[in-house]
Amino acid sequence: MPASLTDSRLAIVSGKGGVGKTTVAVALATAAAKAGKKVLLVEVEQREGIAPLFGERPIGYEERRLAPNITGLSVEPDEALVEYLYLFYGIRRVGKVLRGTKAIEFATNVAPGLRDILLIGKVKEAERRRHQGRYVYDLIVLDAPPTGRLPRFLDAPRAVAELVNSGPIRQQAQGVLDMVTDPKRCRVVLVTLPEDMPVRETVEAADTLAKMNVNVGPIVVNAVLPEVFPTGKLRSLAKDPAEPLATDAAAAGIRLSEEAVRGLARVTALHARKTVNQRDAIAELQRETSIPSLDLPFIFSPRMGVEQLRQLAAALEAQGAIT
Amino acid sequence: MSDLAELLAERHVLVCVGPGGVGKTTTAAALAVRAADEGRKVIVLTIDPARRLAQSLGLDTLDNTPRLIPAKAFPGRKPRGELWGMMLDMKRTFDEMILDMTSRERAEKIFGNPFYQHISSTLAGTQEYMAMEKLWELHEEGRWELIVLDTPPTRSALDFLDSPKKVTDFLEGKFLRILLWPYLQAGKTYLKAVSFGAKAFLKVATRITGSELLEDVANFFLAFEGMYDTFKERSKRVYDLLAARRTAFVVVSAPQEASLREARFFVQRLGSEKMPLGGVVMNRTHDVPAVAGLEDPRSLAEQARAAGDGALLAPALDVYGSWREVSIREEAAMASSLGDLPTVPVWRVPDLADDVHEIGALRRVGEALFGPLPKGRTRSEPA
Repeated sequence: MPASLTDSRLAIVSGKGGVGKTTVAVALATAAAKAGKKVLLVEVEQREGIAPLFGERPIGYEERRLAPNITGLSVEPDEALVEYLYLFYGIRRVGKVLRGTKAIEFATNVAPGLRDILLIGKVKEAERRRHQGRYVYDLIVLDAPPTGRLPRFLDAPRAVAELVNSGPIRQQAQGVLDMVTDPKRCRVVLVTLPEDMPVRETVEAADTLAKMNVNVGPIVVNAVLPEVFPTGKLRSLAKDPAEPLATDAAAAGIRLSEEAVRGLARVTALHARKTVNQRDAIAELQRETSIPSLDLPFIFSPRMGVEQLRQLAAALEAQGAIT
Repeated sequence: MSDLAELLAERHVLVCVGPGGVGKTTTAAALAVRAADEGRKVIVLTIDPARRLAQSLGLDTLDNTPRLIPAKAFPGRKPRGELWGMMLDMKRTFDEMILDMTSRERAEKIFGNPFYQHISSTLAGTQEYMAMEKLWELHEEGRWELIVLDTPPTRSALDFLDSPKKVTDFLEGKFLRILLWPYLQAGKTYLKAVSFGAKAFLKVATRITGSELLEDVANFFLAFEGMYDTFKERSKRVYDLLAARRTAFVVVSAPQEASLREARFFVQRLGSEKMPLGGVVMNRTHDVPAVAGLEDPRSLAEQARAAGDGALLAPALDVYGSWREVSIREEAAMASSLGDLPTVPVWRVPDLADDVHEIGALRRVGEALFGPLPKGRTRSEPA
């Protein structure tokens, strides 16, 4: 069975820092939008990484169209709290009073996890939102905090419940908990690189999240290098490729200066060594977890833009990840 | 222009800052290893909970106590100086700091407060603050010539530089004490002579959080009474240590746009705070220079394939062309984010392909930054 990224309404995209979470989140949104789904792409903590990939100005708390079928949203706790109080309590002018007294800062600092609940609470609201009997969004992609902080982010409902015994926040916490632990509604997509450290962190995160009853998968292995050298030669190429390259060149009648051979050899050794490490890392991932995985190719082009995102989106589609 | 080798040899504190996933912890460890190799007595303080620093230094774990890294963890040549490591335990540091600041009785009262238990590990800025507190302790102990500090991969440099102020502002919480006045009274006198703003605040805050939490909070502030000035003093002296001429900040980045955006932000923020910026360590670069004869690797690859003798040569030419493009992309990204800051030195560490998790590999990172370790040279005499 292909590993679907879209059969729950909410896909939380996380991973170790620097593995390309945002790129993968945007590629997923692009692929789903192309398949005709209405997509909401959400970022937290004002990272402002999404809009530049679409060549747009930074998005704010207002949902804004970024591309056909793709809406962007940047969630921020203060705004979320004000909106929450308004929606659920009709406390209208509370926003102004609260801001004046710094009460929001107080409330979000004082109740640990409250901040996170407000953030996911806003996502939950979008996930449940209907218009004329239909869900407004078919897919919500959350560009989430890195794996180091994700368990705490998703565990916020429980943490808050420890401190707060009653009241609306308690209810909100329960609602969020219900969503993140329902595999039909929510999944965590873990992004990794085909390297040792990110793979280890991914495996650990998958275990932690599974213990929290959060649905994890598929894992997206990002920036997979093409295997261009014969397997049997990889290790020797990683060590000293200059001689076989010079021999090949002579046989093919291509004249290369010593400097050219050296330049070629340096890159060949790097690529071969990275390929060996990539194989080891992918093997480790497969050994340590049974979660299905998807591959995205390393992008070599001189720039990263809309065209490259389309390429990545197509790769997801080709692997049956958009259902 | 400062030279990284000079920083390593002369400074007393090096603070590594930067976004997540760029190898900040590795860089901090590599700098410390190199300093130890060159004869300094150095300690590296990490906040990375992934325990990888401990592993990379040949220990199973690091904890809140400084540990001497055994010479046997160094493959081949032993360090001329000493390498120590420790990992920040936020909660214990906070507890110890409070014990240091007040009587045991009062401290116990604070420790027992549920609100304290939560903020000591989760309040935004606490981790940064505690890292600074620890830095000060290590500095005070006076046992190390060099302290290399790893920092949390916070999204915002503001958090990091503001953290002493942020936490003291929060703890001092003048406005909070006014607002929480009813709770701060011995009895739970009901809201009487409280201003409208305070009333509205309490009403909303109670609705949001429930009243028992507010009581805990009030008790917490009560217990902290009289400690605010101490907090302030401590923040001030850490700030002064950071701004001192024997300190240098090292911004760690990688040549990708997102990381570079953060790096630029750090550089500018440090500049506007007048903090001593050493420079930028650029990790995992791919420097593939143009080479005469390889201007058009793709068509050479075609030629090799056509000749039927290109089993290795053709793919080698292809990957050369590909990595050359990556190199161009990285150069452009670095130029556009840091190019207009020409006085900031950038030190590159090329992609070493292998994960770095033992001292031998950390030494290779050091060699990329400083060149080979000079034989027979020593700086073991204390500064």
